[in-house]
Amino acid sequence: MKTMNALTIDHVSLSFDDFRAVDDVSFSVKTGEFITLLGPSGCGKTTLLKLIGGFYQPDSGKILIDGSDVTKVPPERRDTTMCFQSYALFPHLTVAENIVFGLKQKKIRKDVRDERLREVARQVALETQLSKLPSMLSGGQQQRVALARAMAMRSGIILFDEPLSNLDAKLRDQVRFEMLQLQKSHGFTAIYVTHDQSEALAMSDTIIVLNRGRIEQIGTPDEIYKKPKNRFIADFIGTANIFEARIAEKIDGRRYIVETSMGRFAAESENPPQSDKLFVCWRPEDAVLTNTPRGENDFVSHVEVSVYQGNKTDLLVRMPEGHAPTFRIQTAGTVRHADGARVSFHIPAGCVKFLEATS
Amino acid sequence: MKEKSDPWLVALLLLPGCGLIVLLVGAVVVMAVVQSVGYFNFAGESGFTLSHWKDQMSSHRLWRSFGYSLKIATLSSVLSVLAAYPLALWFRKPFKGSAFISSLLKAPLLVHGLVAAFLYVNFISFNGFLNQLLMFIGLIHDPIRMQNDERGIGVIILQLWKQMPFALLLLTGAVQAIGDDILLAAQDLGAPAFARFRKVIAPLTLKSLQAALVIIFIGAAGDYSFQVIAGPVNVNSITQYMYIIQNESGGWNQAAVVAIMLMAFSLVGSLALAAIAQAVVKRGQA
Repeated sequence: MKTMNALTIDHVSLSFDDFRAVDDVSFSVKTGEFITLLGPSGCGKTTLLKLIGGFYQPDSGKILIDGSDVTKVPPERRDTTMCFQSYALFPHLTVAENIVFGLKQKKIRKDVRDERLREVARQVALETQLSKLPSMLSGGQQQRVALARAMAMRSGIILFDEPLSNLDAKLRDQVRFEMLQLQKSHGFTAIYVTHDQSEALAMSDTIIVLNRGRIEQIGTPDEIYKKPKNRFIADFIGTANIFEARIAEKIDGRRYIVETSMGRFAAESENPPQSDKLFVCWRPEDAVLTNTPRGENDFVSHVEVSVYQGNKTDLLVRMPEGHAPTFRIQTAGTVRHADGARVSFHIPAGCVKFLEATS
Repeated sequence: MKEKSDPWLVALLLLPGCGLIVLLVGAVVVMAVVQSVGYFNFAGESGFTLSHWKDQMSSHRLWRSFGYSLKIATLSSVLSVLAAYPLALWFRKPFKGSAFISSLLKAPLLVHGLVAAFLYVNFISFNGFLNQLLMFIGLIHDPIRMQNDERGIGVIILQLWKQMPFALLLLTGAVQAIGDDILLAAQDLGAPAFARFRKVIAPLTLKSLQAALVIIFIGAAGDYSFQVIAGPVNVNSITQYMYIIQNESGGWNQAAVVAIMLMAFSLVGSLALAAIAQAVVKRGQA
């Protein structure tokens, strides 16, 4: 088992004319890890992936694979294989020819090629489709061919550029699990690009959130979701109620009273707020419906819109004073709330997060 | 519910387009065929005979013309395509000035062959610009005779100049239609530049390549103007030969035999070239 990092990105930057697409990015990936580069369109995630794949050369910084500097190594000589968003299957070649294309380039012996072809075709359930052209396959099958082609190469790192974005929701869900299973069983390192936060949360060992070419936060899905570092992440990952706040009182080492447009409430944080003026957030599902407001962090509001979603209900609510903005709470179960109904809820102090006011 | 189409209505709708083509092409072909077997003789008695075919089949001059035209047509089409491919790849992604350069390269399409041939002859003639330049820079002391060269190099250069933009037009479209990701994937899977060309670009542009070869071959096989002005004087192209036998001896029927042979030659030659191109591309792809 290799102990060194499969991939190290060391202060990498790349600009296109005046636009800084990747701005001083550094991180490491362990062998066998599933890393997701997450961010909105134009945040630099695909550019970063193409830098790792060797399709772009960084203006500055270094890229190391298994400890070797590959910054100037062209894609065809890197230990990486890319799964493209468009699948990039060769339309004039059959499924089998697509899968062994790279192996032929690497001059792998025919018997080894055939064995790998059989193996990956079985793994992605394409044994019966090998003689077909890509145009004869469904989107999901084409995606699996792209995956099989990448896996057949046995590269240390497989780069995925939004590979599920062209699939419908149900198929996406299915292929997502298949990909994870294959990644775990093969043990390859996966660098996955997506703008879909639910996909990132579901699949990743580690998520790297990018914005405007810079890393905003690196963490496990749980850390990213539960401890967003700043307003951008809290807003981008899942749904969050974000309020501008002022520290009104410090109760003890980790407990504070904050003043916001929805009123005063308590917040608990291991990390002290960086200034008196900041942003706080809490997730809609953190709200607990109560029968009557009893004290600290208990609120009463009116339902403006209620959206029933089967296993939960999303409520858009407003404080009775009317001056507070609307915010969202989420209730489990099937209790219906009429528009205009009065609801009481409690927000546990530990669920209120301080956000860095950087973005 | 699927509507049943009326075949008569379909035929009627197609008639203005297809009918005209069939009429015009058919009239020419039929005219040539019947003339070749002795009918429509403008300079003598009309009547069925195979003597015109016998005469031409035994004509050494005709077969020499065929050999010459085959060489010119094959080299012109192959060289045009070979010259157009790198340019098409260069123009695949627009860059600053690419539209201007591309327009400049396609300008010969707008210049008539006769004008081009005349300019070319001026350029390479005994006292032309090229000889003057070579003497001025001291590479030669006396002018060289380049005009009407025996090997037909001047004609091939003119064909290349005139036809390459056409090949470029067809190939640029085909090359631009290949997605970036396809080429990046090939590179990512270990294919260096030439392997990407052989295994991805060439197969995916094969239809355009064949179209360019076929059209250029047919055009060059039937060339008259370049040959008359810039071609060798010791050998004729097929069209030139056809004109000569009609003009010199009023041999309309003999000329019709040559015309039919030229049509067959163009058809067979261009299809053979397209088939060879396909075989070469398939072999390169393996």
